[in-house]
Amino acid sequence: MEVDDVPLDDKAKRMRDLLSSFYAPDPSASAPSFPATHASLDAINSASFDPDQYMNLLVQKSSLEGLLQRHVEMAAEIKNLDTDLQMLVYENYNKFISATDTIKRMKSKIVGMETNMEQLLDKIMSVQSRSDHVNTSLFEKREHVEKLHRTCNLLRKVQFIYDLPARLGKCIKSEAYADAVRFYTGAMPIFKAYGDSSFQDCKRASEEAIAIITKNLQGKLFSDSESIQARAEAAVLLKQLDFPVDSLRAKLLEKLEQSLVDLQLNVEDISSASVDSSDPSEQRNASMPIPSNAHEASVREFAEAICAYRVIFPDSDEQLTQLARDLVSKLFETTEQYVKNRISSADLLHVLGIIWTDVLLMDGVVHEAVLRDHCLEAARMVVKQYVANTFSHLLHDISDALTKAHIEQKDGVEKDSLQVALEASKKRVLQGSMDVLLDFRQLLDDNLELLAKIKDWIIDWVQGGFQDFFRELDNHFILLSGRNNSSSHDQVLAGLVLVLAQLSLFIEQTAIPRITEEIAASFSGGGIRGSEYGPAFVPGEICRIFRSAGEKFLHLYINIRTQRVSVLLKKRFTVLNWVKHKEPREVHMFVDLFLHELEAIGNEVKQILPQGVRRHRRTDSNGSTTSSRSNPLREEKLNRSNTQRARSQLLETHLAKLFKQKVEIFTKVEFNQESVVTMVVKLCLKSLQEFVRLQTFNRSGFQQIQLDIQFLRTPLRETVEDEAAIDFLLDEVIVAASERCLDPIPLEPPILDKLIQAKLAKTNEQNTISQ
Amino acid sequence: MQGGSSGIGYGLKYQARCISDVRADTDHTSFLTGTLSLKEENEVHLIRLSSGGTELVCEGLFSHPNEIWDLASCPFDQRIFSTVYSTGESYGAAIWQIPELYGELNSPQLEKITSLGAHVGKIKCILWWPCGRHDKLISIDEENLFLWSLDMPKKAIQVQLQESAGLHNLSGGAWDPHDVNALAATSESSIQFWDLRTMMKTNLIERSHVRNVDYNPKKPHVIVTAEDESGICIWDIRKSKAPVQELPGHTHWTWAVRCNPEHEGLILSSGTDSTVNLWLASPFSRDELTSETLVDSPTRQPDPLLNSYSDYEDSVYGLAWSSREPWIFASLSYDGRRQRLDNVKLGYVSLEIALSWHSISIGCRSAFAFAEGRSDKSRFWVPVVLAIIHGHVITNKDFTSKIWRFSVLTYVHE
Repeated sequence: MEVDDVPLDDKAKRMRDLLSSFYAPDPSASAPSFPATHASLDAINSASFDPDQYMNLLVQKSSLEGLLQRHVEMAAEIKNLDTDLQMLVYENYNKFISATDTIKRMKSKIVGMETNMEQLLDKIMSVQSRSDHVNTSLFEKREHVEKLHRTCNLLRKVQFIYDLPARLGKCIKSEAYADAVRFYTGAMPIFKAYGDSSFQDCKRASEEAIAIITKNLQGKLFSDSESIQARAEAAVLLKQLDFPVDSLRAKLLEKLEQSLVDLQLNVEDISSASVDSSDPSEQRNASMPIPSNAHEASVREFAEAICAYRVIFPDSDEQLTQLARDLVSKLFETTEQYVKNRISSADLLHVLGIIWTDVLLMDGVVHEAVLRDHCLEAARMVVKQYVANTFSHLLHDISDALTKAHIEQKDGVEKDSLQVALEASKKRVLQGSMDVLLDFRQLLDDNLELLAKIKDWIIDWVQGGFQDFFRELDNHFILLSGRNNSSSHDQVLAGLVLVLAQLSLFIEQTAIPRITEEIAASFSGGGIRGSEYGPAFVPGEICRIFRSAGEKFLHLYINIRTQRVSVLLKKRFTVLNWVKHKEPREVHMFVDLFLHELEAIGNEVKQILPQGVRRHRRTDSNGSTTSSRSNPLREEKLNRSNTQRARSQLLETHLAKLFKQKVEIFTKVEFNQESVVTMVVKLCLKSLQEFVRLQTFNRSGFQQIQLDIQFLRTPLRETVEDEAAIDFLLDEVIVAASERCLDPIPLEPPILDKLIQAKLAKTNEQNTISQ
Repeated sequence: MQGGSSGIGYGLKYQARCISDVRADTDHTSFLTGTLSLKEENEVHLIRLSSGGTELVCEGLFSHPNEIWDLASCPFDQRIFSTVYSTGESYGAAIWQIPELYGELNSPQLEKITSLGAHVGKIKCILWWPCGRHDKLISIDEENLFLWSLDMPKKAIQVQLQESAGLHNLSGGAWDPHDVNALAATSESSIQFWDLRTMMKTNLIERSHVRNVDYNPKKPHVIVTAEDESGICIWDIRKSKAPVQELPGHTHWTWAVRCNPEHEGLILSSGTDSTVNLWLASPFSRDELTSETLVDSPTRQPDPLLNSYSDYEDSVYGLAWSSREPWIFASLSYDGRRQRLDNVKLGYVSLEIALSWHSISIGCRSAFAFAEGRSDKSRFWVPVVLAIIHGHVITNKDFTSKIWRFSVLTYVHE
């Protein structure tokens, strides 16, 4: 098929080309002339076909057989072409004939159409004239009808005006104020135009009616019992009646403000209720909800009122915002007042919770007021104040605990009052701090949205609060101890200072670590202040402050105590003329006073300070050997003491002793009983030595000193820690006295012994009597 | 202890309480001291620092009839001084003159110019006119104040004014170098201020247990007191309610206090705890201090205690700055029994203390290091202050003033 197809296509194509070239206007264009040199056997179809050349070519190239075949082919081809040509000519002729026929038929049919058209024109003309006639005849009647209709309308209007008062009355009766107002406003233009003349009565009557309506509407507007829609409608109607709405609005606003004040009172009720209820804690749960519910209800009412107002006067956001803010500010003002009292954080939470619900309620009504932010700000202030107040209360508590003890001690009723005071204040410090922390924990743990937002602030405040609190406490301690006012030292009780010392130590060693732990556990974070400042609570600094404070107080205590003895000694030494001293008969009573003072110190110290490690037990054994060595030595020397030589030998022994060791007299004081007592004794003996050095003695004076010191030796040794130093100091006193003596002859040991025994016997006797 | 080891010692034979700088001697650094011995023969020592500065030389040794409780050198004549002495039962005061050719005499005798005979009670001290040549003297006993007029050529002295101090026994005093009509006297319970023209009390600071008082020679109205309990106190006498600064440092009584004659704020105190403390008092008033601490609370104030010289065997009662070389002071320990040791000690303000201030409010780190430089010629320990300042611009006023304060301590000793 394909083999057939291709030659068929070729054939047809050639045919078509040939035909088209035949019909083409310019045969040369379609078949460009080929030059003779290009002549080939294929060029038979081109326009520049040269038969001679073709022939020559054919003859030259082909064989005879080929030529014959070619001849047959060409003959057949020519025949085909002739038939095709004939066919085409025939077809064209046929078409020409049919066209001529059609034209002939058209010509015959167009004749006779002219007359029909003329007839049609005539008929249309007649229709036109008839219609014009009808129109003119109806015109007059139509005019009349229209006039009648206008009159009718006017008459109806007049009728309406005349009916208006009655209709208004009816409306009033049926409370259809909206209709009434609509009627009245409809009639208004007429009244305005003719009110003074023809419709005077009518106008008056309807105005009266409208006045009633206005009044009723006002009443409606202000009555709380009406629904909000009704009130809003009333307001709209009043507005339509050209009633001065602004004054109404002002009035209503005033009313709202009035209710605000009422709300205020409610809050106070709540706080007072909660204050009352906080005392008997069982009642609290029962009594709390009632006022709070009442309050909530009233706030809800207020919110509704505001909502209504908003509906009634849509363009009054500003006032409402102000109003809402006022409400919040007032609530927080009350809370601030409330916080000034001593309240637990539960109470605060309760109040804040109430306020927050209020705020949420109000916020739902008045968005523009940004009440939440406002509230947040206010709450922050309140909570901050609360934190500050709590700390100040704590401070107050501690100071109370201290001063109470102070007073009790003054009365001298309780013997262990110092210990009681210490324990009480320790407890106050630790327990109080823990309670405070717990309290604040509550604030943090509560899931009130308000507090959650200021959580970081609270943490910072608590931390900073503790920092400030301890600083303040330190200042307060100093104030209590009267360090700033040295002239009042005598009034300050030494015991109090000692309590402060131990308390400072306690705070440093126990309270601060506990609090730090607690804070780390539940008050970490914060950091509102910015990280460059570090955490607000710096336990290291506080510890440092209290450590130094503790030492300071301990020294102050020692100072105060020593001062008393010093005064005693001063009296003893300055009043007397030692150069004219009489022979010693007994141990002087200042020794008793001194020992008494020491006893008092011992008492105080025993109550407050811990017992030290009995280090002197060890030194005791050492000390006893030295003292047992030195004592007989001295006594031996004293036996021969009548002579000048012996006297100088006594000095020499002391010198020898001094060379042996330089006794460190003033060592560091530690926080225990022995150390403090020892320090006091040392300082007193040193003072004694200095006083002695300022005097000049005769023999008796020196002997008196010798006697007193000898007597002191035993009881002092019992009380103190560092026997070697005390011995040294006692010896120093005797040496000083002998140096300042014109005639330093010591007492004979037997006499010394006798006098001391007498004194001991006497004190024993006194003790038994007093017992 | 650096001060003690680098200090120079001098031994008196007996116990002694008082030492005085010889201010009139402009050529040498000398001190006068008198012994306190009840039974032995007392002496007055004229001690001089040798030209090499290595040792204390006894320039003169004079016997004094009685034990000496107070000694003061005349500010305008180096050969004249006053003593207060006790015979054991009664007290006396006299003005003495060192004989001119004392070096050549074997046992030179002091020449008694006159004695102040009007006293009845226990005489406490004699004060010379604070500066320059003047014939006025003040003596204080327990009950009275005397203003004397000394007539040197006639060798006579007259009581000009006398006033009873009232109930409280006086214990000492100081003459205001800024106002020669003012006198501060210490008594048992207060510091009294007297106007010498009228002999009336003008002011009173209620303060008990004050042992010694000294005026700040560089700043009017500022006094320093030594007290039993709290070391030394600095007062502004116009604000008598509370001290400007308290410097507690001694463990027992503070006996004497002396302001440096040249360098403000440099204060010496000595006490019965056998130490001498060298202080650098803050030049700021209390208000400024508090404001500074407010600004910069975490940084600690520099310790005002510069050095503590504790190499003494006994209580130190006598203390004197040298007015010629104001970085030298003499201290006198009571230690009379140990004759081989020295009771007179010369100390130097040897500041090997390194102070560092961390960031005074502007984040500027600075460190002051005090180094001791040793000059070969004089073999003196001379304090050389090296101020090493790390940091940027020093804008803080206080800070610069502190640098200034330390720069005054800088000496270059040739």
